[in-house]
Amino acid sequence: MKSLVSILDGNTFVVSDRSGDIDPSPDFPTGFFSYDTRFLSTWQLTLDGERLHPLSVDDVQYFESRYFLVPGEPTHYLDAKVSVIRHRIIGGSFDEQVAVLNHSGEPTELTVRMEMGSDFADLFEIKNPQRKKGRTCAVVGENHLLLRYERQNFRREVNITTSEPGAIDEHGMTFQITIPPHGEWSTRLHLKTNVLGAGGRDFRDSLRMERSRSKEELERELGQWLSQAPRLGCDCEPLGSAYRRSLVDLAALRYTSITFATQLVTAGLPWFMTLFGRDSMFTCLQALPFLPQMVPPTLRTLAGIQGTRVDDFRDEEPGKILHELRYGESAGFEEQPHSPYFGSADSTPLFVILIDEYERWSGDTDLVRALEWQARAALDWIDSYGDLLGTGYIWYETRNPVNGLENQCWKDSPDAISYADGRLPDFPRATCELQGYAYDAKIRGARLARLFWNDPAYADRLEREAAELKERFNRDFWIPDGEYYAVALDADGSQVDTLSSNIGHLLWSGIVPPDRAAKVAAHLTGPRLFSGWGVRTLATDAGRYNPLGYHVGTVWPFDNSIIAWGLWRYGFRDEAGMICKAMIDAARFFNGRLPEAFAGYDRSRTTYPVQYPTACSPQAWSAGTPLLLLRVLLGLEPHGEHLIINPAVPEGMGRIEMLDIPGRWGRVDALGRSRPQREVETEP
Amino acid sequence: MTGDTAEFFNSVPARAPLLLRMPISGTLQIDLVDGHETEHWYLTFAPGRAMVSRDEQAADAILTLPTQLFREFVTGCSRPNAAVLRNDATFGGDVRLFLALRRFFPTGPGVRDPREVAREKVAARRRTASAPPDRGTGTGNHPEGQERTG
Repeated sequence: MKSLVSILDGNTFVVSDRSGDIDPSPDFPTGFFSYDTRFLSTWQLTLDGERLHPLSVDDVQYFESRYFLVPGEPTHYLDAKVSVIRHRIIGGSFDEQVAVLNHSGEPTELTVRMEMGSDFADLFEIKNPQRKKGRTCAVVGENHLLLRYERQNFRREVNITTSEPGAIDEHGMTFQITIPPHGEWSTRLHLKTNVLGAGGRDFRDSLRMERSRSKEELERELGQWLSQAPRLGCDCEPLGSAYRRSLVDLAALRYTSITFATQLVTAGLPWFMTLFGRDSMFTCLQALPFLPQMVPPTLRTLAGIQGTRVDDFRDEEPGKILHELRYGESAGFEEQPHSPYFGSADSTPLFVILIDEYERWSGDTDLVRALEWQARAALDWIDSYGDLLGTGYIWYETRNPVNGLENQCWKDSPDAISYADGRLPDFPRATCELQGYAYDAKIRGARLARLFWNDPAYADRLEREAAELKERFNRDFWIPDGEYYAVALDADGSQVDTLSSNIGHLLWSGIVPPDRAAKVAAHLTGPRLFSGWGVRTLATDAGRYNPLGYHVGTVWPFDNSIIAWGLWRYGFRDEAGMICKAMIDAARFFNGRLPEAFAGYDRSRTTYPVQYPTACSPQAWSAGTPLLLLRVLLGLEPHGEHLIINPAVPEGMGRIEMLDIPGRWGRVDALGRSRPQREVETEP
Repeated sequence: MTGDTAEFFNSVPARAPLLLRMPISGTLQIDLVDGHETEHWYLTFAPGRAMVSRDEQAADAILTLPTQLFREFVTGCSRPNAAVLRNDATFGGDVRLFLALRRFFPTGPGVRDPREVAREKVAARRRTASAPPDRGTGTGNHPEGQERTG
């Protein structure tokens, strides 16, 4: 695969090759995308009919890139008489300046051509290529080319204008130019997308959403975002660069939701540039100590679109929190269920958990009170529709046999949940971490009910139910021989006996009794699960283990951050530190940007973490990972109006200093330091 | 206007105490288009309350759609979010009012409680698994198993 360059602004993004060109690609997401539609699938620059070759690419900012190009193959390289600089900015719209430079002492005549086209593919059609059902047409204007797609009332347009005059046809623009000696010619191409709604206007205008922003506005926004975050000073350079990278990537992944015209975080480039319930809430949980402003819009949006009825196509039930929201053609025409789709069994308890965690940090009681009704509906879901079999657990089974998700937990690939011998269990399934989340949601819901909803009876009930769930869970999921928790129960209530990383989430939820926690911690840091670069999703002796399997052997940074948080909760600071250190070591190999997943090979076999082939990057909850690791290393925990700081920094990491941590206490600083290396001191 | 639609609007105020328990306020104008005729309805929402009116007034949001499509919403046969995404219904203004309205639309006809379906399926599979060999029908995963009741 050619190496690709991506720039993005929330759910608007461009993926091109290293010359800045976009070649038609029916099954890979190259192109210019916005709100799940590909608005450009062809964008090829030629000089006298020849494609150009990159000398270098400069990703100036996440929303800006520059390409330095010359005609001719680099292998036949002679001093170039002409070079081209493409400067591209994405800020809701897409702008590209094409500059052609004449380096000779003679005037140069050239034909500059930009080939342009759009297949208006829906992102889901790129995953599974199929013929478009609507019609595409091109309208040629004096200085613009309009490309339009129509299917019944559904209409998408992209209007491409040029600042310099040229010959415009249905497939692009041609410029016959003469450049004086040592001179330059340039044109600015501006692309405006239209998603037509009420009265033929763009729906974003109807909802008073901000549209395109200038480079200056984008830079100002990024500067503000970064200045609001606490400042990190540390001896460990990879940690410092991972922190900065995370802050910038989370800024890049923000987009303006149609639903509330507020800013939400998309899940990951290029496949998941939209709102996911689970991903956005985990990202908020990871980022809360540093970027608390991400939380209220996420909670409000998820509450606003909470399930209201039973809908089999969308796996919707009353009280359920959504899984995935899409804006494209396939969602509109119900060829895909994402309008929104509710196929996740964890987003509903996570919603209650995030409300509580947010209040503990921010003291924002208004939001907790405003969301009372939706939080209660979520808690009700756990014991009603969530408990499909009436056995006191959250179960899942899709009711959409065509395009529903089989596994409705974070490990949602079809082979993710298996017995140790590799067989796949029947549905419905009850994975262990779902029960942990349900337990935590009840405990936290009880706190909210007692302190903010003025309903102590409800609080008592939730606490009683949580205690019963904990007892039941520890009876039914614990595997005495292996001394760990089964990854799931199958439809018969029997244990799905694989050893998996899911048990780490149980520590985070607090459903593990103290006398079993040490066993769980030992498994997480033992050779079957711990690769040296992190905790694998599945143990090496499992039937389906594959170090390159998406959820069956790879290491997920997000998963590891939650596991480290869980280990911290039970006081396993050394084990938590070991995971934090492994992750930060890995981040160094990705320039501070942890990918979605990397291979589960043992660290002793590979001297670097091998990237999973189609991992999304940047990915929101991978970007959130260094933030949560910092929380764990510094031992940050709100307690009443104060922030507890109890650092445990692994050997060799030196000093970690976090200044201006925001919260109900105003702003406070935290300082941690590695313990002295005693071994060194005792050496002769 | 048909019975379904009138009945729906009439039922809104009585259902509001149960369905509108979150902070909300504002007026949603619903324009139902039937050929050249357009009917205007105004729903004013507040926490636990909803008022329905046909009298022209200022609105914070407007939902415009064919009368027939609205009928499909109120009977649960069609879903408003998807209709807006494919531009069969258009919307402008404060989205919270649209999402509040959505809460009043019912589950579609013939949709069963998923718990009932799952429990029947598991019970049927257990029966098949424990049935004597001469009566056993092979796979317990047969999709028709969902349709049979015990």
